[in-house]
Amino acid sequence: MSYAYLFKYIIIGDTGVGKSCLLLQFTDKRFQPVHDLTIGVEFGARMITIDGKQIKLQIWDTAGQEAFRSITRSYYRGAAGALLVYDITRRETFNHLTTWLEDARQHSNSNMVIMLIGNKSDLETRREVKKEEGEAFAHEHGLIFMETSAKTAANVEEAFINTAKEIYEKIQEGVFDINNEANGIKIGPQHSPTNPNLPQSGQGAGQGGGCC
Amino acid sequence: MEYFKTGLKSVLGAPLQGSSPPTGAETVERLVDRVQHSTLLDDRRDACRALKSLSKQYRVEVGAQAMDALCQVLEMDRADGEIVSYALDTLCNVMSSEVFEEEEHPDVYQSSKTSLGEQFTEIFMKQTDNIGLVLGFLEEYDFQVRWPALKLLTSLIHNRPRDLQDIILVSPMGVSKLMDLLGDSREVIRNDALILLTHLTKGNANIQKIVAFENAFDRLFDVMADEGYADGGIVVEDCLAIVHNLLKHNTSNQNFFKEGSYIQRLSPMFSLPNDNEDISWSSQKVNNILSSLQVIRMLVMPGNPAQVTSSCQRTIRSSGILEALCGILMASGVPVDVLTETINAVAEIIRGNLANQEYFLTVMAPSKPPRPAIVVLLLSMVNEKQPLELRCSVLYSFQCYLYKNEVGQAQLVQTLLPSSAEVGTGTTGELLVAGLLSGHMLSTWLSAVALSHALVENPAQKEQLLRVALATGPGAQPVTLLQQCSSILQQSTNVQSKVGILMLLAMWLSHCPLAVRDLLNTPSCIPYLTAQVGANEHQEHEELLQGLCAFLMGICVIFNDDSVPSYTRDSLCQLVSKRVGQDVFLDKLGEVSKHELYSKAHKHPQLQATSPEFVLLDHEFCKLFKALEGMVVKAVSPKDAGLHNGGTELTLTATESSLLLQYKELIRSQDNQIQEMRRQLHQYEIERQGSQMQIEELSATVSQLRDQTRLLSAAANTGVTSTLSSDINKLSISNQDNLSKCSELEDELDKLRKDQEDLLVLLADQDTKLMKYKTRLKQLGEKVESDDDDDQRNAEEP
Repeated sequence: MSYAYLFKYIIIGDTGVGKSCLLLQFTDKRFQPVHDLTIGVEFGARMITIDGKQIKLQIWDTAGQEAFRSITRSYYRGAAGALLVYDITRRETFNHLTTWLEDARQHSNSNMVIMLIGNKSDLETRREVKKEEGEAFAHEHGLIFMETSAKTAANVEEAFINTAKEIYEKIQEGVFDINNEANGIKIGPQHSPTNPNLPQSGQGAGQGGGCC
Repeated sequence: MEYFKTGLKSVLGAPLQGSSPPTGAETVERLVDRVQHSTLLDDRRDACRALKSLSKQYRVEVGAQAMDALCQVLEMDRADGEIVSYALDTLCNVMSSEVFEEEEHPDVYQSSKTSLGEQFTEIFMKQTDNIGLVLGFLEEYDFQVRWPALKLLTSLIHNRPRDLQDIILVSPMGVSKLMDLLGDSREVIRNDALILLTHLTKGNANIQKIVAFENAFDRLFDVMADEGYADGGIVVEDCLAIVHNLLKHNTSNQNFFKEGSYIQRLSPMFSLPNDNEDISWSSQKVNNILSSLQVIRMLVMPGNPAQVTSSCQRTIRSSGILEALCGILMASGVPVDVLTETINAVAEIIRGNLANQEYFLTVMAPSKPPRPAIVVLLLSMVNEKQPLELRCSVLYSFQCYLYKNEVGQAQLVQTLLPSSAEVGTGTTGELLVAGLLSGHMLSTWLSAVALSHALVENPAQKEQLLRVALATGPGAQPVTLLQQCSSILQQSTNVQSKVGILMLLAMWLSHCPLAVRDLLNTPSCIPYLTAQVGANEHQEHEELLQGLCAFLMGICVIFNDDSVPSYTRDSLCQLVSKRVGQDVFLDKLGEVSKHELYSKAHKHPQLQATSPEFVLLDHEFCKLFKALEGMVVKAVSPKDAGLHNGGTELTLTATESSLLLQYKELIRSQDNQIQEMRRQLHQYEIERQGSQMQIEELSATVSQLRDQTRLLSAAANTGVTSTLSSDINKLSISNQDNLSKCSELEDELDKLRKDQEDLLVLLADQDTKLMKYKTRLKQLGEKVESDDDDDQRNAEEP
């Protein structure tokens, strides 16, 4: 159960684009075809390995409905990564991306890694948004981009893991201040000194990284 | 006070000579005017200070008149810490939930339902922006601003919790600002923030999740560690109260708590020093441990989603907490409330989890010789001197140990069977039977219920338990346990014992025709039940008792295999209708579910009794009752309707019901087949659609190809035919040439032929002339050559 780093993610995007399904596919490896409206937020977690290091992902899946927007905003600040999801078969969900992005940029810390996800890539026949459009949007706003299918699990692993890789690289580059928990990053217990009761004082000493 | 008065004088100016001193209301009015209209900050600040000093004594006046002015100060003068501090303090006093000693009119609003503080709170919170202002002051590091802002929020949440929760939820970073206070190095602020968070997180899932997201568990455990865990002060209890709130009925947070490895961080709470005698159990320590136990229970309580409960149960065991708790169970000198709650917690940690149940069975008490903890616990349960809560919790733990544990159930019954080698060594089963026969009403009840849990959904053990026989005295015939129960039922004068026995019998006989047969064969049992159901007198809880008797009779009807001639299904039904009357029987049966304790017991597996007389109904029994009540009602109801349509399922004979079972089995297997076929059909359908698509695709390509061919051939045609036709043209032209030549030749030929004919005619003429001349010559005597000569001559002639 020990880990080198812990990253906090949020999943955002319009209602019905498949945020909860992406999470379920990632954590439980299954797909639920019935749309069960998320109320507020739901939590999920999984361990992954990057560069030989165990990394724990804690993921908060937010409700897409407008009514919950003010609640879900509270989650931006403490997240290290965000998956911004749209539905390739519904153009309006793509059109709303700008609003989502503005919201995220306004409330999150500036280093948050955002992965743009065009979900439901299995429904090629009903596609309304071209892959190139997604790529262009991501390029324009400096996001990583992927098309996924929560149903067939295509690219789902990759979406979560590539986001983590990006965060990991930023840590290596010293961009993130890992001692500030508000960034959504925590150092694992084995990285701090033996006394687990004093984690705050310990974390700084072990890592030469950022300072406040 | 004198100091304040002189201070006031200097603020307000000396009172006018000769006039009476101003009333409180007037003073407040002037101060408010000054706060609102003074241009100098110093003046406004002084007025605010004065208002603050009056806000306890003239609370009504200040609250009624100064509210707007104070909010205005918070808005306009926020840069000046001092005036903000006065304004916040004043608001705090006005909205406080307590009544101050020096208040002028403490009784003003006491007649109304809401207190003065609540009413002012309502007015203050009507302007949602006000809360945003106060939240903003939490970011101010200055103690004299941050602390009153925090206190004001605490007053507000005390008076209008729901409204404040809703406002904070939607204010930008509202929760984050509060969470940051936990990191404040000034303990007063940190501790007050804990209290505010306790109220804030109560019953609001959205706030609970945000608070958890903001690293609340980390921060709270850090605080608890700093304070020394269980040995810490009330702050630890406050932290645990928040943890408890965050987890209560919140699956998302429970998952987060488990995934974040916070269960492990609870374990220091339960570590006792090795030398048990030295532990001092201060009341604070007791509270801290109780709160920690409640946190544990929140993760594994029966109402939670199954997968959360089972994974938490695993983690609690692997983190060593279950072991630590079992240690507390067996330690000496543990206060009884801690012990009780620990037993309850252990109960829920092992409930329905086979590995944990098996572990629990192996726990040994440090006695000489060592005995299983479970036996020691049961000893306490059947001990009349132990407190009620403790005995109930032992029952709960035993019940959780047996829950979905067929092996455990079988082991318990095994200890009672004659084959069992260890007789009289105080096994679990023997303790229960001893408790059953003890004659103490509560012991009988608890033992009966404990025993009944060994039979829940376990038909095999129901039949095994029939084999149990008891030696009643030296030389006397052994009596079966079932007979013994029946005689306790008839001889006891105590309602509680009887209720316990009846519940045990109901559990035992349900779905077990063999047990029904044994009971029917027990002398005087059915007459007793009939008499009870038919009785008219009602003592306390007598209705319940009669209802249970009716239920037991009903079970004897439903699960009757008609093997006892005097009490077949039909004869029992007749007994009911003739001796008791159907309506009376159903009325009595209905008394059970109408009982005040029924719904409570049905709702939660744990028996929650504050005094012995409330120990009557058991959870599993209530579940059984609910499942069978309808069947009992049908079974004893008039059969008229049943006769017409061939009888209901319950009135069938054994052969018929076995036939029915066969058919059911058949239907079930057919059902499965249908399912399977549906599935296949579905698969084929998918395949068909696939092929259909392929066909469409192929036909599309075919038509495409066809088009191409057409196109190509069109292109090709235009090229090839033109050359061909020119060739043909050429040929036909030459042909015509030939034809014309031919006709010319023919013409020539014709001419030649005519010439020839003419010549032939001429020749013939010549011939005839020649003949004439020959004959003349002959006549003339001339010698003429033969024909041959003629011919030769003819040939030579031309």
